Amino acid sequence: MNLLVLMITLPLLTAFLLSIINRASIFAARVIGPLVLLATASIGISVWSQLGAAPLAVQWGGFQAPLGITLYADQFGLLFALAITIGTLLLWPKSSENQLRSSSLALLLAGTGSGLALSGDLFNIYVFYELMTVVSYGLIAGRGTSGSFASTLRYLVISGFGAALALAGIALVYQATGTLNLAQLAQLSPEKLNNMQGFAAFVLMLIGFGVKAELFPVNMWVPEVYATASSRVSALLAGVVSKLALLIIMRLLILVFHQPEALTVLLVLGILGVASGELAAWRARDLNRMLAFSSIGQLGVMFIALSIPGNAGIFAALAVAVHHLFLKPSMFLLAERWGGSIKGLAGAAATSPVGAALFVLLSLSLIGVPPLPGFWAKLLVIMPLLALDQPLYYFAAFVILAAASLEANYLFRVVMKLYDKEPAGKPHRPHATADLATAVFLGAGLAAAVFMLVPLADRLDSIAAQATDVSAYIQAVAPQSLETGRVQ
Amino acid sequence: MRRFTAALFLLGLGVMIAAIYQHIDFGNTAVNAGQEINAVAAGETGAANFVTSVVLAYRGIDTLLELTILFTAAMIGGMVLGRRRVDAPRDPDAGFILRTGADLLFPLLLVVGMYIILHGHLTPGGGFQGGVILAAAFFVPLLARPGIMLIDQRIVSLVEGLAGAVFIIIGLLAMFEGYEFLTPLYDKGELGALISAGSLPVLYLAVGIKVGSELAGLLAHLAEAEALD
Amino acid sequence: MDILDTNMILYSAAFGLMLIGIGGIVISNHLIRIIFGIALLEAGANLLLLLSTYHEGASAPIIVNGNMPAMMADPVPQALVLTAIVIGVGILALALSLAIRVQRAYGTLDMREVRLKLEQEISDEAGIGMPSSSDKPADIRKLPFNSVIQQEGGS
Repeated sequence: MNLLVLMITLPLLTAFLLSIINRASIFAARVIGPLVLLATASIGISVWSQLGAAPLAVQWGGFQAPLGITLYADQFGLLFALAITIGTLLLWPKSSENQLRSSSLALLLAGTGSGLALSGDLFNIYVFYELMTVVSYGLIAGRGTSGSFASTLRYLVISGFGAALALAGIALVYQATGTLNLAQLAQLSPEKLNNMQGFAAFVLMLIGFGVKAELFPVNMWVPEVYATASSRVSALLAGVVSKLALLIIMRLLILVFHQPEALTVLLVLGILGVASGELAAWRARDLNRMLAFSSIGQLGVMFIALSIPGNAGIFAALAVAVHHLFLKPSMFLLAERWGGSIKGLAGAAATSPVGAALFVLLSLSLIGVPPLPGFWAKLLVIMPLLALDQPLYYFAAFVILAAASLEANYLFRVVMKLYDKEPAGKPHRPHATADLATAVFLGAGLAAAVFMLVPLADRLDSIAAQATDVSAYIQAVAPQSLETGRVQ
Repeated sequence: MRRFTAALFLLGLGVMIAAIYQHIDFGNTAVNAGQEINAVAAGETGAANFVTSVVLAYRGIDTLLELTILFTAAMIGGMVLGRRRVDAPRDPDAGFILRTGADLLFPLLLVVGMYIILHGHLTPGGGFQGGVILAAAFFVPLLARPGIMLIDQRIVSLVEGLAGAVFIIIGLLAMFEGYEFLTPLYDKGELGALISAGSLPVLYLAVGIKVGSELAGLLAHLAEAEALD
Repeated sequence: MDILDTNMILYSAAFGLMLIGIGGIVISNHLIRIIFGIALLEAGANLLLLLSTYHEGASAPIIVNGNMPAMMADPVPQALVLTAIVIGVGILALALSLAIRVQRAYGTLDMREVRLKLEQEISDEAGIGMPSSSDKPADIRKLPFNSVIQQEGGS
């Protein structure tokens, strides 16, 4: 199981050495990136298959927790580590003059994402998160247009603000408990963090890590960044990276912060996110920003799902997240050629019929039409909301349903433009083969999920159950050393 | 309107902080990982400076990631700033005092920087602090004589990449020996001697060289960016 | 709680720095001041992290001349802050490079104008008009404020 660290360090090593490899052989530099990602993905898959029911914990450097840092691999973390590795592989940056830097950045993104999903220490998560932020600055600014620089700068300001707040939250946690290991925090939190200080730390860390997860007050960077970055980068950021940030918040919620006020904060911010995102998407007039606002709305739904106490909440959030993981990148890949005003899309279905059909399928799944997986994901969120029988949760369910009708409106506006008989001024070029193939592949995954619904749901349920099992977490990180760590 | 909401936001923050104040148990923190480390660090890692043992041994992966952040920031900075036009106007050389001072300071800063890097496991200091001094050593002459870089940019990027790779390779070496990634290797030696604490000084050397070359490159890039008219 | 207690002073300093930094980011319009605000905010957060296990009278966690001091400070926050400072430096350098490029492209460092021009660029690229509101004449919109930065010669 030591090979798991290779999933993180091998892409980093390759990124460091890429310019040196390039001097030796340009072909090798071009090819080694995807090869390394293929190797790390296969390592991840092999660890997944050997994992079974018990999660695995590896210590960096061999130092026992809580002195050292834990690498914690359960199915939940491995799922997202594999998602970012395979996602980066599928959405590998296209050849351009900056190919060397784009490849290094893509490799760094894959390694960092895996590390973020598998980390078991609070400050380690913070450093991985910062690294992922810096890598995404590079990916966005890599496009080279002045708009991309300006939007990166705005993203940097908001992100820097959030990062400092997260650091303050970590300081408060360390002050209260004296440890940064998530397992030991899970043990200590009922006595030490169940107060105002713990709640303040949670809010600070929520805002900090919520910047990437497009949380309500700090998501002003989203439309500009997704409009000015290249479509593959937008697909990666919206599809995978935001889910990784959500994963951090999920881990914190499950292991460390158990106050009901935390759930209320998540609920309120989720409702605001859904409302603001969907309304803004309704008013958008170009496709890129419409998709950006729509992803804010979907992430708001995930936050509402997280506010449901217990296993049902994590299961629902996981279902919506995995669904969105396939959906959004596919839509952004389609928006590569169709980015631009929606009015100008008239008649585009004639030049790319496959793309248009795919867009219809994706829209139906996003809105939540049975039997597509989007319907089941939203159902998993709405049913527990209604079962909780409290006014705020009823309101949340109403907001989600109203948002679905808004989504139907604006998405079908696009579809009708696509199939319009009279074309707009100049015809759109058909999609590039690589983009279309990847988008079809992701869409086919969604469609295939329709037939494998029950086993998929069972698998997601077991992943969520394993994730919420706090005692299994503590057990896996070796309780004996945690005991000695507590006694002076 | 905007200033009003900003003031309101700050007021809300102030209230939250006042509430936190009442709950923080000052000066009376829990029995924690830090004291445990203080107790065992000398035995486990052989470094006299416990902060070094935390940075390189117990939290070595954080240090690796920090290096990666600097590497990425330097790379993106280079990409964003682009290349300078060959005929772009340059600032003139600085005055006599700065030029002479820079010439005198350069070897001093180099020596101090290397001293701090190499003694990182014995006294306060280490790779990051010494690396910053090394970067300053290469940057001060650039301030005195704009345009004349002491080291070529390509060599700087080569050194960057190699130093980072050396760090990871030392970690991987530990894996080949059968331990986990980044377990300290080699003999622990005598506590307090220069050659002690196993692979920790080597790691700090790699860190120092990497940080120094990266910051020097980044600062030089920023200084070289075309003057804004 | 003694008001002049060392702990209180230090915590006030940390929170105060953070508040000033946040104030700078939220209130100011000039890009460089916003970046300074980020630097102050990070300084405050680092100080807060260092203060988390502060013991009065503890000495540095270093073995000097073979003997261990009686009460040693906690080495973990020092290592954490080391990492955080370096991260902050990297991000500030990036922010300044981006600011240089934005100035070159848009000719201004006022955030309001930058956002306006960004919006314009996105709209032009997409081929749609600028977003308009219903209570405003339907022609080109002039900036309603006096851009002080441009009047100072754009230095």
